[in-house]
Amino acid sequence: MQVIDDVIAILSEVLQLGNRASQFDASTPLFGHIPEFDSMAVVSVVTALEEQFGFTVDDEEITAEVFETVGKLSEFVETKLAS
Amino acid sequence: MTPPEAAPPPEPYFIDGPAGPLFAIYHPPSTAVADGGDLIYVPPFAEELNRTRRMAALQVRALAKAGVGALIVDLYGTGDSGGDFRDARWETWLGDIAAAAGWLDSRGRRRIGLWGLRVGALLAATAAADDPKRYNRVILWQPAISGERALTQFLRVRVAAGMGAGNDGETTKDLRARFADGAGDSLEVAGYEVPPQLAAAIDGARIGPLGSALGMPVDWFEVVSESGRPPAPASRKVWEEWRNGGVPLTTATVVGEPFWNTQEIAVAPALIEATSALFGPAEP
Repeated sequence: MQVIDDVIAILSEVLQLGNRASQFDASTPLFGHIPEFDSMAVVSVVTALEEQFGFTVDDEEITAEVFETVGKLSEFVETKLAS
Repeated sequence: MTPPEAAPPPEPYFIDGPAGPLFAIYHPPSTAVADGGDLIYVPPFAEELNRTRRMAALQVRALAKAGVGALIVDLYGTGDSGGDFRDARWETWLGDIAAAAGWLDSRGRRRIGLWGLRVGALLAATAAADDPKRYNRVILWQPAISGERALTQFLRVRVAAGMGAGNDGETTKDLRARFADGAGDSLEVAGYEVPPQLAAAIDGARIGPLGSALGMPVDWFEVVSESGRPPAPASRKVWEEWRNGGVPLTTATVVGEPFWNTQEIAVAPALIEATSALFGPAEP
């Protein structure tokens, strides 16, 4: 629960979604669905996640799948935090 | 309407740098308050530089009011200075900072500090460690702890660009291998022709080991998204090392948007306030 809230907060902040992010839940689609969510945004979000949580993301892990939905991204963060 | 305490207008110059002319704008301090010396601003790398212009401009204005002059220099190969980005070198940039300090000195401005953001903070700390007698203080805004990590974050733009195109193949490791292949060719990343020498120097830069050479006061600011949130673990580790090593370090955590990493221009007013407050009480 906590992780998904943090992930939504980071998405909102980095993509400057404002109020729109308050509607987000695990099923919200990201990459290819939100206009702001282009490849530059992927990089910014990964950077913010790394800085906030203190883990390192490998290139191989940056895939379209991970960024498919808010839920997928949160699961990814949880996996990183557990490893 | 111009308030009476307004600082004198900015003055554009070309300064002789080690590799060519450097475009610089000097923002003189207000004469209505005590002279607080000068800061040379060392900007962040590539796209982060563009995103953070507004923050730098706001800070410069606040500094002038607080009696502190600011020299904003376009590093060689960037902005309106000489050279193309592919001509940029870490060592040249260090020389550019030294040239900027020399320029202030030649105008009788002798209390010179460095103020850098992200990779610019890493560069500023390196310049200060190289010539500690020259600078009376260093202000670090969200410094890049590891140049390697900062370069990876930058190279990812190119990796991620392939994502939507179904090309998940190229990695930052591949890009580094191409830098190191000996051909000496620049790689285009997000519109910047990055020369291999610059990439290698950034890759090797670490802020931690610079601490022992920093004899001057260091103010390190971290921006966090909400009050009570701790700064990045990597930063706290360096703080501890530096404190144990006797570096005169002051750290502060301020709440604000990550303006160097946002898609649209953002500002962090608390950071500006906290930075200006280093130079005496805020204006009423």
